[in-house]
Amino acid sequence: MSSPVRIQPDPSFVRELQAAGGESVKKCYQCATCSVACPLSPSENPYPRKEMVWAQWGLKDKLMNDIDVWLCHNCGTCSDLCPRGARPGDTLAAIRNMTYRKLVGPACIGEWMSSSKHLPKLIAIPAILFAVIWLITQGGFSIPEGDIRFGKLYPGDYTIDPLFMLIFGFMGWSFYKGVMNMWKSFKSLPETWQLGVEVEKPTVIQAIIDVVRDEIITHRKWNDCGKENTERFKGHWTLVFAFVALAIVTGVVAVSHWGSKVPGFNWLHMLGDTPMPLYSPVKLLAVAGMVLGLYGLTMLTRRRLNQDSQKSGSSFYDWYLLGVVWAVFVTGTGCFLLRLAGVAGLAYPMYYLHLISVFMLFAYLPWSKLGHLVYRTTALVYARVSGRLPLSRVEDKVFEI
Amino acid sequence: MAEKLGVYVCGGCGLAEAVDLDAVCTAVKNKYQPQCPVIKTHPVLCSPEGKAAIEADIAEAGLDGVCLCACSPRSKWDVFAFGDTVQVERVNLREQGVWSFDKETGVVEMAKGINDLQLICNEYALMGVVKLTKSNIPNPEVAETFKTILVLGGGWTGLNAANAAASLGYEVVLVEKSDTLGGKVVNFYKTFPLSHPYTEAHETGLDKLISQVNASKKVTIFTGTSLEKFSGAPGQYKALLSNGQTLDVGSMVLATGWDAGDTKYLAPLGYGEIKNVITTAELEKMAKGGSITRPSDGKAPRSVAFLLNTAACSTVACPSDVVMECDAAADAPQNPPAEAAAEGEAAGPAPFCDLESQRHLALSSEISTLVALKQANYVVEKDPEAVAFIFYDHMMVPGINERYYKAAQDKPGIMLSKAEIKSVKSGSGGSVIISMENTLLGESIEIEADLVVLPTALVPTTAHSPVVNLEYRQGLAFPDLNLFEGYADSNYICFPYETRRTGIYAAGAVRQPMGLALSADDAMGAALKAIQCVSSANKGVAVHPRSGDRSYPVFNFVRCTQCKRCTEECPFGALDDDPKGTPMPNPTRCRRCGTCMGACPERVISFDNYNIDMIGSMIREMQVPPKMDVGGPRVLILACENDAYPALDMASLRGKSWSSYVRVIPVRCLGSVNAIWVADAMSKGIDGVMLLGCKYGDDYQCHFVKGSELCNRRKENISESLKRLGVEPERVDQLQVAIDEYDVVPGMIDQFMDMIVKMGPNPFKGY
Repeated sequence: MSSPVRIQPDPSFVRELQAAGGESVKKCYQCATCSVACPLSPSENPYPRKEMVWAQWGLKDKLMNDIDVWLCHNCGTCSDLCPRGARPGDTLAAIRNMTYRKLVGPACIGEWMSSSKHLPKLIAIPAILFAVIWLITQGGFSIPEGDIRFGKLYPGDYTIDPLFMLIFGFMGWSFYKGVMNMWKSFKSLPETWQLGVEVEKPTVIQAIIDVVRDEIITHRKWNDCGKENTERFKGHWTLVFAFVALAIVTGVVAVSHWGSKVPGFNWLHMLGDTPMPLYSPVKLLAVAGMVLGLYGLTMLTRRRLNQDSQKSGSSFYDWYLLGVVWAVFVTGTGCFLLRLAGVAGLAYPMYYLHLISVFMLFAYLPWSKLGHLVYRTTALVYARVSGRLPLSRVEDKVFEI
Repeated sequence: MAEKLGVYVCGGCGLAEAVDLDAVCTAVKNKYQPQCPVIKTHPVLCSPEGKAAIEADIAEAGLDGVCLCACSPRSKWDVFAFGDTVQVERVNLREQGVWSFDKETGVVEMAKGINDLQLICNEYALMGVVKLTKSNIPNPEVAETFKTILVLGGGWTGLNAANAAASLGYEVVLVEKSDTLGGKVVNFYKTFPLSHPYTEAHETGLDKLISQVNASKKVTIFTGTSLEKFSGAPGQYKALLSNGQTLDVGSMVLATGWDAGDTKYLAPLGYGEIKNVITTAELEKMAKGGSITRPSDGKAPRSVAFLLNTAACSTVACPSDVVMECDAAADAPQNPPAEAAAEGEAAGPAPFCDLESQRHLALSSEISTLVALKQANYVVEKDPEAVAFIFYDHMMVPGINERYYKAAQDKPGIMLSKAEIKSVKSGSGGSVIISMENTLLGESIEIEADLVVLPTALVPTTAHSPVVNLEYRQGLAFPDLNLFEGYADSNYICFPYETRRTGIYAAGAVRQPMGLALSADDAMGAALKAIQCVSSANKGVAVHPRSGDRSYPVFNFVRCTQCKRCTEECPFGALDDDPKGTPMPNPTRCRRCGTCMGACPERVISFDNYNIDMIGSMIREMQVPPKMDVGGPRVLILACENDAYPALDMASLRGKSWSSYVRVIPVRCLGSVNAIWVADAMSKGIDGVMLLGCKYGDDYQCHFVKGSELCNRRKENISESLKRLGVEPERVDQLQVAIDEYDVVPGMIDQFMDMIVKMGPNPFKGY
């Protein structure tokens, strides 16, 4: 018999969690339907049942250190089958939202990201910033003359590039701290040893390779995760690759621009001088990314809108991310089309909006739902290293619902 | 005594095809021609023509009885009714003759020249006729009766009962022991929900109820008054109150409610030793007073733990307390017989034994659950930042209260878990530390709470004192209270409110732990029963379960030996006795089961339409073949007409069959079976007697509570006598049948027959 653990329930944490998207958490009566139904949950100590009772009791330490909330891909099977409408899927999402909020400082960004009432502030920061730049470069809100080149309004060398480098630096640093915190909290958990079973634990490198191959590139868990998940799989997968494509494009542009300034590498500018001609392979990749992204967004938004509100819901975190990504893609597409159409009076303001949305996407990233890009990956790696998840696929739960 | 009988044999429902109806008529004619001016067959007796033919004969020949050889008395009873002056006897040829006849063995016997089915029908017809010749139309004496209803207890249930009876036009006397009305509910801050949507606790509405009762012209209220003595019988009760007044009342609603359970049973959970461990009763009072505070420092608690799992207080956990004070004197609640009191007046009234035990905690589980939910809501209502824990073994929230449970689950400040409480200890700063195992959190946990609240058991007032103070020969209190842990419950599934004392109807928490909604329903139910009682007593008919029965036990005192068996055995205490021991009947207390008739060795007691001679004569109509291997054995079944007889009918309706060597005679209750019937049967050469009746014991199903149990006791005596005579005692057996066991009954009969066949003929056969 283990000695009793002193627990400190916290009703204010419960209220916070409810506000972050887990409003039905108190309904759970621990029947364990969710843990049985979950196609991904390991058979040892399965989630989400235990998370539900911790959440009801406001046991925040347990939840914030819990790796299992990251193993969930939120297919909603548990919420569909929950006899009490407790929405375990939403609760786990809410716990993740709470993690984005709390994992790294400054606390005020986490706080602002948690509710729609702070949205104006979040928009105002980049809006003012880019308006000021506009004012400085143009000496007023005027539209630059001649053929449309966004660099006229926001010269890359002095405004966009240094600014976004700073933003990326800030984001990277925040993620570094976040990942460290997360790793430490996972390590603080007692490890489970199975007697008599010799399990060879993989190295971190092996784990990372496995995660990239098995989770990110193939999205295989998404197809394991419930039958009616194809819409979500398609949407998420195409959106991920849209971002990959756009990241490559951005990389090429940056490398060619800054690289060409290095003596002897002048030829590099050939690759990515903007604006590029439409036949440029880089431009074609960018257009492909744009199309993929819009398709992915459509799929994901349609799924959220068609969700049975009785069974699962969407929190502010969900809508914020979808909204910002929509804004990035719509304004980006708008800039592209308006520039081609030669409507300078609309193209420059559209570019202004594009910058605001891109700023919002990246500057606040560690505290937004998009933080899962890093945190989930971290957790999945740790899960493999610690043996919570096997390196190779194991089919130990086979059943039909 | 019916003297001019019409005998009708019906040919419907396949009877004409299976039996020679004329042969049945001939059998009756041969034996009872003088008493039966009309003996005829009819193709369908229940048709309008059939009924018209009977009515014409009644008018023409002046019949005073008709014997209808057709279907079971359980069907067509509304068709075959011919007014107050014509007795009707139904001979069950259909269900218990033709339909249940075992055709396979029937064919074999036919080949030997014996038509068993014809024999069965003939014998049943003759039994029917002889039964009528021994039966009279009862003519009960109607005494002057009172219709006032006494409601004992002015709490929630009593007030509701008074209201209910008054609203139906009856005079009500409401007697309350304390100085104010309202009872326990006076201290309630709120009640768990009584109306839609059943999610929030609310005010009890007691004040409105009290003013309603106060305003009623039909209700006379006595507060600060208790009932000293209750004597007489339904319709003629005299209630002696503590203020010296004697009131004439017709019946009583017992609504004396509950007492808070003794806190000594809560000691294993820290009560008494730790200051900040209190009971729900104490918390309720605090909440009513305005604020919830800790006894140790008067501060409002930030965390309150309700411990519903009282397994630590169970009988196993504290064996020293489990021996009830009563167990020493086994029959104490039934009180010693009158002679003890008569011999030594100094001995005083019989000692009443206290029936409270820690079992009341478990029995109150449902209410404890709801109260914990309600009070957990108080905690978060008074301080939205506070936490209320409920640690339970079972959440008992049957029915609509599930909604209240769900609503409580949804509150962030209320946290629930199943748990086994291992220890309750005091922590620092007045806190209490509870350690638990097997929780929903999947591990052994410890919680530090500012306050711990333990459930208050609802102990019925009848567990602590006789309450009703009856002047009955069988004692002041209800009998067999120890069977029900002191609750004044009859354990009747079908007859709630009815206690073992006709005219006294229990309602509310004195009957069973319950909340306000059920208590109000109970109050209405008991009030209606009390009204049924006064309006049966004034007509001289039985109240229940033989509602409207006009028969009543008649005593032939000339032969009475004052053996007191009837007075002691009557399950309802209907008989008092005089100093010599001669029984003094109280017809309005009587339920007409005939247990006294079955008890009497001198056969002094009879009913006009049900008596020793009648059943004896019916048994004598059984034809016993002199040799068992030629005509087969014979077995008599005396079947309880409440459960066993319908079960046989149902078995037959479902196509079951049984041995053709048995004859079934229905009896009012196995309690009315007199040993002489069995003796007659055995001496006649009948090979066995089956007594088919209800379950007895703690979970009895007898409509008359003790009938089948008493019969079983008498059967033991019969077995002894049979042994002395060199007859196998197994030949007489009592078997328990529930009304829904129609699928089992035929098997029971066949098994008994197999045993008889193996045993061989009754040694008395042929003498």
